Amino acid sequence: MTLESILMTLPYITVVVLFSLGLFTVLFKKNLIKIIMGIALMQNGANLFLVSLAYRRGEYAPIFTSAESTDMVMPTAHALTLTSIVIGVATTALLLSFVIMIKRHYGSINTDDVRRCKE
Amino acid sequence: MSFDIMLHTPTFILAMPLLFAFLTILVSKFSKKFGEMTFLLGLLLTGFFVFLMSYRIFTDGGWIYTFGAEEVTTRNFFRITFIADGFAALATITIAITAIAAGIYSFGYLEKEMSSDKFYTLFLLTLGGVNGMVLTGDLFNLFVWFEVTSVASCALVAYENYRGRSVEAALKYMVLSTVGGLVVLFSIGLLYGQYGVLNYALLSGSISRTFLDKLALALLLVIFAMKASSVPMHMWAPDAYGEAPGPATPFIAITSLGSLFVLFRLLFGVFGVGIDTAAIGAILVILGVLSMFVGVTMALVQNDLKRLIAYLSVSQMGYMMMAVGVGLATLNTVEYQNFGELAMKGGLFHMINDGVYKALLFLSAVAVIHKTDLRSLNDLGGLAHKMPYTTMFFLVGALSIAGIPPMSGFSSKLLIYQSVYLYNPILAVIALVVSIITFAIMGKVFFNAFLGPDQGLTDGEVSNVMLSGMAILTAVVILFTLFPNLVVSEIVTPAIEALTGGVLP
Amino acid sequence: MNWKMSRIVRTVTDFLVVPIVIFGIYLILHGHLTPGGGFQGGAVVASATALLIIAYGTLGRHKKDLSTIEAIGLILFISIALLGIGSTMFYNFLAGTGGMFGGTVEGINSGYINTGGTVTLMNLAVGIEVSAALSLILWMMSKETGIMKPEKKTSKTESKEVEN
Repeated sequence: MTLESILMTLPYITVVVLFSLGLFTVLFKKNLIKIIMGIALMQNGANLFLVSLAYRRGEYAPIFTSAESTDMVMPTAHALTLTSIVIGVATTALLLSFVIMIKRHYGSINTDDVRRCKE
Repeated sequence: MSFDIMLHTPTFILAMPLLFAFLTILVSKFSKKFGEMTFLLGLLLTGFFVFLMSYRIFTDGGWIYTFGAEEVTTRNFFRITFIADGFAALATITIAITAIAAGIYSFGYLEKEMSSDKFYTLFLLTLGGVNGMVLTGDLFNLFVWFEVTSVASCALVAYENYRGRSVEAALKYMVLSTVGGLVVLFSIGLLYGQYGVLNYALLSGSISRTFLDKLALALLLVIFAMKASSVPMHMWAPDAYGEAPGPATPFIAITSLGSLFVLFRLLFGVFGVGIDTAAIGAILVILGVLSMFVGVTMALVQNDLKRLIAYLSVSQMGYMMMAVGVGLATLNTVEYQNFGELAMKGGLFHMINDGVYKALLFLSAVAVIHKTDLRSLNDLGGLAHKMPYTTMFFLVGALSIAGIPPMSGFSSKLLIYQSVYLYNPILAVIALVVSIITFAIMGKVFFNAFLGPDQGLTDGEVSNVMLSGMAILTAVVILFTLFPNLVVSEIVTPAIEALTGGVLP
Repeated sequence: MNWKMSRIVRTVTDFLVVPIVIFGIYLILHGHLTPGGGFQGGAVVASATALLIIAYGTLGRHKKDLSTIEAIGLILFISIALLGIGSTMFYNFLAGTGGMFGGTVEGINSGYINTGGTVTLMNLAVGIEVSAALSLILWMMSKETGIMKPEKKTSKTESKEVEN
């Protein structure tokens, strides 16, 4: 295995690490803010995954440059990433406002205290 | 080529809810009355375009709508596409009927709310999201509309944010939906990385049973089953249904149904040829049986009216998954001709049935809660004296969900029993038992809440606007009851052909 | 409690807000040529709001205007999409017509700003919408969490989410 192929897999290893760290946080942490941080980590992992998929060695970003259009990469994955970032902002804002309201109603943001629905 | 409005209907089904969602905000700043009118106009226009699209599909067959192209007939797979076929028609009809009824109902319900324009906006956004989800023809858009639906419906669940419980339910739902959305994105990445396409039609041609394909399929199956409140992942559903504001409750249920539609579209249309259909069908059957059984068992011990119906809804989802699972398991074999197609008919007919009668049950339960401020079955009683119409509507819904002949629920369940029995007799027995328990539960609820001496819990019937919302749904249920053959042959059969025939090229 | 920050911070804010907003507008208008676009530019514009909130502790009474602007931006977006309905929705009917936005594209990526067609207009609509929406979100959240001076008792909380 050459150094280059190791370097090429590095983004995917990072993706797996980020995604599993995020999932771990969501599943096992009790603090709601930490859960949201875990979701943000997973979001970043997914975005990094898409961006690394779209990378082609020796080709250019599809923006205003003087490169030939055949040398440019297909921007579908980039568009998907941007959309996902936009959606991430919306979901994070909504989740955080839920936490603000939960803090006001329950006086706590620990998941152990936030379980009135079960009764 | 001349301009043909019929070909443009799929885009209007999506554009009208979104446009009117924001028009409602603007108009409500000047006058509350006109804001409500705008909301109603948006709903009715959406329903009108759904009708037009379905009419065109049933008469002339389906077509693909390509956004931004020179003409509708242009095929460009790297553009955004919408699929208008029989299956999309079935899905949008179900959604539109429920949305119109719940929207009209909400006028009566929200009278005492201070700012109702936000409710209308979120309602229309959810409607647009679900419509986009079932109409879309590529995975990119599927992700976008999935997230729009999640965000809008979660905000809808938390709409009564002066109650802590509704925020808690919304938070649970939202965390699950967001993580689900990210997993969907991840599996989209897996497919895109291999084939470089996101379009359903192109993907279905290239799926080739690699390990990554199977991983993507498993992830998508789990997430959409979760959104459809199938049993191992159903924990959010009773909370969200139970705590959502009244008129929105059937609509949250409709987002679940929409996810189930998308799941079937993905399984048949995208993965259909590239997977081991027998195994995936068996998994769907197992999920379905679990949902049916666990849902109804949990409903048995519930005391809260809305949560009880929520668990019954989980159990009804199981019927559809089981029936369509049998159809998928036998796809492309001789058995499909024997009973698989019948199972598909039963499953899809049950979907449109269930969307309607479940909405009716939820709305009449909400009417009771709205009038009495009580949710526990122990406290309710004797409502039939003061609320005769609500009682009648609830009875229609209850008989239908329990599958009592000759109600519409019976026609679809009969198809399911017949066909599933040939696949595996035990499944039919379980389905029958679940149906009987459902009947027992509905009987208990009806006797507890509506019959008996008048306890003076309410001073009269709910407002006429709310009654008319429920009356629409009742009329549809009765229509389905009277003409089940017509529905199966005119709406369900084209949907099955569209589903099993693969995505339009 | 003193909601304002020190005079230094406020003065620097005054100086910074204008360039930030102009940079945001640049990103919005140049979105079809270089990285940027409606959302990114709108987010930059909204960061000016964040600066103002932190430095001054108030935005005045502009909340109602913000939600109006947001709705207008979105209606604009959908209307432009619907205008292309003669061909299909989202059809770029301005491209190549030679008008203010419809310059013809010469060669690969000529880099002229007037070649975007409806893309420029849509970026503009999205930019208006996103800057208003993100400002609204920041305003609401800082009010609820006590970064900002609370106004009179109105506990209407937001349920404000938008896509795109």
